[in-house]
Amino acid sequence: MLAYVARRLGYGVLVVLGVLLLLFVLFFAVAKPEDIARRALGEKARQEAIDIWIASHGYDRPLWPWQQPADNQLFDHYARMLTFDFGRSDTDDTPIARRLAEGVGPTLSLTVPLFLVGLVIALLFGLFVAFFRDTYIDATGVFLCVLGMSVSLLLYIIGGQFLIGKLLRWFPISGFDPAPVVVARFLALPVLVGLLGVVGGDVRFYRTVFVEETGRDYVRTARAKGAGEMRVMLRHVLRNSLIPVMTRVVLAIPFLFVGSLLLESFFGIPGLGTLTVDAIRNNDFATLRVMVFIGALAFIGGQIATDISYAFVDPRVRLE
Amino acid sequence: MSERARNIRARALARTLLPALLLAAACSNDPYPPGDAAHKIYYTVFREAHRTLDPAEAYNVSAHKVTGSVYDSLLEYHYLKRPYELGPGLARAVPEPQRLEDGRVRYRFEMRSGIGFGPDPCFELGGAGRRSREATSADVAFQLMRLADPALKVQVTDAFSAVQGFREFRERLILRRELDPAFAELPAHKQYAALGGMEGVRTPSRYELEITLARPYPQILYWFAMEFTTPVAWEAVQFYNGNEGRDRFADHPVGTGPFYVREYNKHLRLVLERNPHWYGLRHPDALGARYPERGAPGDAEGDLLGAAYRGRALPFLDRIEIRLEKESIPRFNKFLQGYYDASSIIKESFDQVIQADRLSPQMRQRGIRLARSVAPSVFYLGINMEDPVLGAPAGERGRKLRQALSLAVSSEPWIELFLNGRGVPAQTPLPPVIFGYNPDYRNPYRQQQDAKRSRARELLIEAGYPGGIDPDTGSPLRLSFDTYTLNSQQLLERQYFVDEWRKIGVDVRLQATTYNEFQAKVERLAYQIFFWGWSADYPDPENFLFLLTCDMRRSTAGGPNTSNFCDQRYEKLFAEMALRGNDAERQRLIGEMVKILEEERPWIELYHVVDYQLSHGWLHNVKPFGMSHPMYKYYDIEPERRAALRLSWNEPLTWPAYALAGLVLAALVPGVRTFLRERQ
Amino acid sequence: MESHILANLLVLALLFVGAPLAFLLLRRNRMWSEALGELWRRRRFSLLVIALYVAVALLDSFSWVGGAGAGEDSLSAHEARSVIDRAFADTPRESSYSAPLARGSFYGDEPLRAPGGHWFGTDILGRDVLHRTLKGVRVALLIGGFTSAITIPLALLLGVTAGYFGRRLDDIVFFVMSTLASIPSLLLLIALVIVLGRGTWQVCVALGITSWVGLCRVARGETLKLRELDYVQAALALGTSHLRILFRHILPNLMHLVIVTFVLLFSSLVLSETILAYLGIGVDGSWGQMIDQARNELSRDPIIWWNITAAGAAMFGLLLAVNYVGDALRDILDPRTLRERA
Repeated sequence: MLAYVARRLGYGVLVVLGVLLLLFVLFFAVAKPEDIARRALGEKARQEAIDIWIASHGYDRPLWPWQQPADNQLFDHYARMLTFDFGRSDTDDTPIARRLAEGVGPTLSLTVPLFLVGLVIALLFGLFVAFFRDTYIDATGVFLCVLGMSVSLLLYIIGGQFLIGKLLRWFPISGFDPAPVVVARFLALPVLVGLLGVVGGDVRFYRTVFVEETGRDYVRTARAKGAGEMRVMLRHVLRNSLIPVMTRVVLAIPFLFVGSLLLESFFGIPGLGTLTVDAIRNNDFATLRVMVFIGALAFIGGQIATDISYAFVDPRVRLE
Repeated sequence: MSERARNIRARALARTLLPALLLAAACSNDPYPPGDAAHKIYYTVFREAHRTLDPAEAYNVSAHKVTGSVYDSLLEYHYLKRPYELGPGLARAVPEPQRLEDGRVRYRFEMRSGIGFGPDPCFELGGAGRRSREATSADVAFQLMRLADPALKVQVTDAFSAVQGFREFRERLILRRELDPAFAELPAHKQYAALGGMEGVRTPSRYELEITLARPYPQILYWFAMEFTTPVAWEAVQFYNGNEGRDRFADHPVGTGPFYVREYNKHLRLVLERNPHWYGLRHPDALGARYPERGAPGDAEGDLLGAAYRGRALPFLDRIEIRLEKESIPRFNKFLQGYYDASSIIKESFDQVIQADRLSPQMRQRGIRLARSVAPSVFYLGINMEDPVLGAPAGERGRKLRQALSLAVSSEPWIELFLNGRGVPAQTPLPPVIFGYNPDYRNPYRQQQDAKRSRARELLIEAGYPGGIDPDTGSPLRLSFDTYTLNSQQLLERQYFVDEWRKIGVDVRLQATTYNEFQAKVERLAYQIFFWGWSADYPDPENFLFLLTCDMRRSTAGGPNTSNFCDQRYEKLFAEMALRGNDAERQRLIGEMVKILEEERPWIELYHVVDYQLSHGWLHNVKPFGMSHPMYKYYDIEPERRAALRLSWNEPLTWPAYALAGLVLAALVPGVRTFLRERQ
Repeated sequence: MESHILANLLVLALLFVGAPLAFLLLRRNRMWSEALGELWRRRRFSLLVIALYVAVALLDSFSWVGGAGAGEDSLSAHEARSVIDRAFADTPRESSYSAPLARGSFYGDEPLRAPGGHWFGTDILGRDVLHRTLKGVRVALLIGGFTSAITIPLALLLGVTAGYFGRRLDDIVFFVMSTLASIPSLLLLIALVIVLGRGTWQVCVALGITSWVGLCRVARGETLKLRELDYVQAALALGTSHLRILFRHILPNLMHLVIVTFVLLFSSLVLSETILAYLGIGVDGSWGQMIDQARNELSRDPIIWWNITAAGAAMFGLLLAVNYVGDALRDILDPRTLRERA
């Protein structure tokens, strides 16, 4: 077991190193430091100021180790990222770590409710539709899911702000405030809209899982023993579907940290998604590459956790 | 269970469950904490995180909202009078220029005593437990030297380079920092002192400031009405250096203004609170500390000279909350809901708000007021005069081509489509509120009727591009319109011009790039046509016409003359015009300059913005100022009235929730019933 | 200048060589012709809808210079205009907004130049919305098609060789896959577009890089399974060349996976583009761009709904049909169901 965990962790580290290499190629080798400097210094920056900026941010050093083994940007990039020394934003010089710390709270306060409510709704709705499989309720349910998946989140957001925020006046159209009661008001609408975008695909997936499970022998046996349909669904089908469900759920968790780019930026929630969108808009490569790195890190961590927990549950996995 | 009891239970269930589920968050669209409604808090917005609030660096309207309230200036404009009138602020009087024999000019400012900085922990550097101190002439001198510091991103160095020794001070600073690492580690004020300060800036006493200009530059006084010349505390600059978890000074303003920054979260909000040490509290008679007694004609009829305010001590507001609001539509909707106190009109809602050129009945019924004014600004399409096809190198051909391009695009329909008519078509760079504007002048290359399009075609033939065809290639002449935005809605606004040029057969392509890439193109001179605007720093024609002088060329001097226009006749006229007061001769000189621009066409002038400012009935004393100076200290609010109206305007409509729930249930019930029947 | 001729040739080749060839190949294979027959029975309407979209895209790809109907825009006489453009020669530009089938302009109610001629109304610059929407079809299919043309060969090549040859090669491919898969795809997509720059092919390449991993993983897994099957092992024992085994036994048995993945991928590609459009790095003329341009129009008062509705509905129609067909295809081509039917 321990050997498996060690192997899995080792591979995770390898992937992290791979991600960092990719980021380096994208953001150091392909992107030009002059562009970033000019953006940071403003319209009237003179060449001398740009040169100073580039030098002070270390962008003028050789890129690759074979050019200069001791002092190159590649090793530096690895060293900084792996020690979580993210440096400062290219646009306004604030420490990126600080902005991450500020953004985590608002992001989680959006994504955690979205995730939990979405999970419960998708599971319930999936069970419900599977329960009524091969009736018009099932057909309509699946149709609604496909319908929901065919619409851009952009349209949901625009429609939601217009209908619920402006016409019905249930919640503020956008904005954020960490104060206790008010925060719920601000989050209600983005969560509602976010659900529309997420639930369709999830329900369809869970339905397939449940329907597949109901076709199995043990379910037939349970039914033959006279167990009620409701009991069959909740006790047997739901329980035995947990592995595929859990896989999907665990894979979704890392995205909680990255946040939803569109939701956050449209609703003015100052989280990590907004941070990313701002970085994109301002060509703030320093922040952007940290965001990509953090996202990848969360994802890899999630995967390792899943794999190891599987290994605990199912001994066969370890031997693979 | 009786029928009645069951009914009641069912109804109670419906009443509690549904709203609890759907509207769990105490269904209300009020974005503020409950207790705040009772206070005199003015709510306004910023659209993106401020890059800097350093008074030496901040140079845009959004940042000035903050810096203009936190930092006071030596001189101030009269709040109501138009044309603009400069008066004393922190200074006791507007200084007279004193001409020295060698051509230099000297101004002597006398500052008031008892000017206090807003409360801030940084003043502990000057003594334990200290939270504020008196601002003196040395603090203004310190800020003037900061303007020359190359470590700061100061965008107005050109204006201050008239101060004697300004450039030298900058160079000495660079040199010393390079040669002496220990010097470079010192706090800024110690570095400046070690260099002996700037030659043209002297402080003969605690309250006296003497500025010497190497050459006459009468417009310098206007710069003393801006935050660039505010007193800055060395403690704040030294303390807020971004290290050890402290803010940068650019994110932590500390000044002598009527308000101080109590809270600043870049990604959420900025809260300004009354400054208990403001000079106005000690000098209630000072001009900038009282609401004016008199204003411009018409002010008395409006909301501007109410008896309750005339001559009363400022400020009236307790707090100003500036909230991050990126998208315009939510911002405006929140204004309509009563959560912001004033707003401009977004184009999407213009027809709902303004009908037949006045407020719609719906808005008037809500008590909303409208103030309209032409802003001292100009928007234009610039042409790179160093381009081989369009610019000066192409000689007469290029001139004719520019004239044709200018004739082919019209301002009026564009203003109508994208500004709802809120613009004055521009004939020259000068807007109507600025001296030198001639209401009777019509630029022959900016008059657009369809007949003129044929004139544009003729000009194309004269330029050697008959029908838009470039004889060298045999296909349509291709030009690039270089934009610095990727926003698809703004690109649509640019597309209008492209389509107009297509009509005369010229193939102008939109080259949409990021701001970065655009700057890089500008650097390489690889751009042809661009869209740009200029908003006045101060009400003087010099502040517009200098945009086309040789010294301000982007290509050679890095200045704001992105057209790279340079014409010796224009240059001579400009030099003479800049030094004159507003008289008939100045008007004549400006007329001649305009004539040159008319012929040469480095700009295709588009429009001057007309500001439509809306404010709610509970907000008082709002007068649009045009230039970027926030005037919050004059505003007042009636919180009770505001709270009551907000409640009455924002009752949520809940029936659709019930209707939707009902619909879903109704759709499900038959299915569930048949299903259950079958299973049994 | 000559790019439109190239496009025309491509369209002709697709129509007169590609389509018949594909048809013949499918007819020869019993499993495929049965599957397609089943698909046609189940999803006739969706297939017709997709065919309609494809037809519009092809018509919009075939263009030539000159001819009548250039209008007052004197430049367009020198430019290549497609069949679709020419079909709209009779609906001239208006000065600004007009509602669907309106006779007068939206503001001021001045008579239009083509009263009642704009089925979906006109946009702020007076352009016909139906025309723009139809032109968006080509862009959408281009995004889906072009990206797939990058993704599928790449994914198959890497997936199959990795699965088939195993060992070091498999390790490398698997590592690259895990690396790419562990970066949140939207973030990677944005980073790629920003670094590569704006434009149609850049967006397609970026989408391709972010989307090949899924198919590659499936192809690798399936190849691993197929390799162990008896007849493949037998062929190997008989000394059949690897190339022959790959093309005779492995690839044909992967095709159903490719098709299903492609169909399901398609909708996610088009949806991803709308997000890029919102960030200002989308493809010119796409529905995403139309929606982004029009997103504030819903707040106009009186409301202007036709722009966003037309683009949204066109996209929705295509994606719904594609998703529906994809669902059915997955059911039909699922190996389990395949086995049951056999």
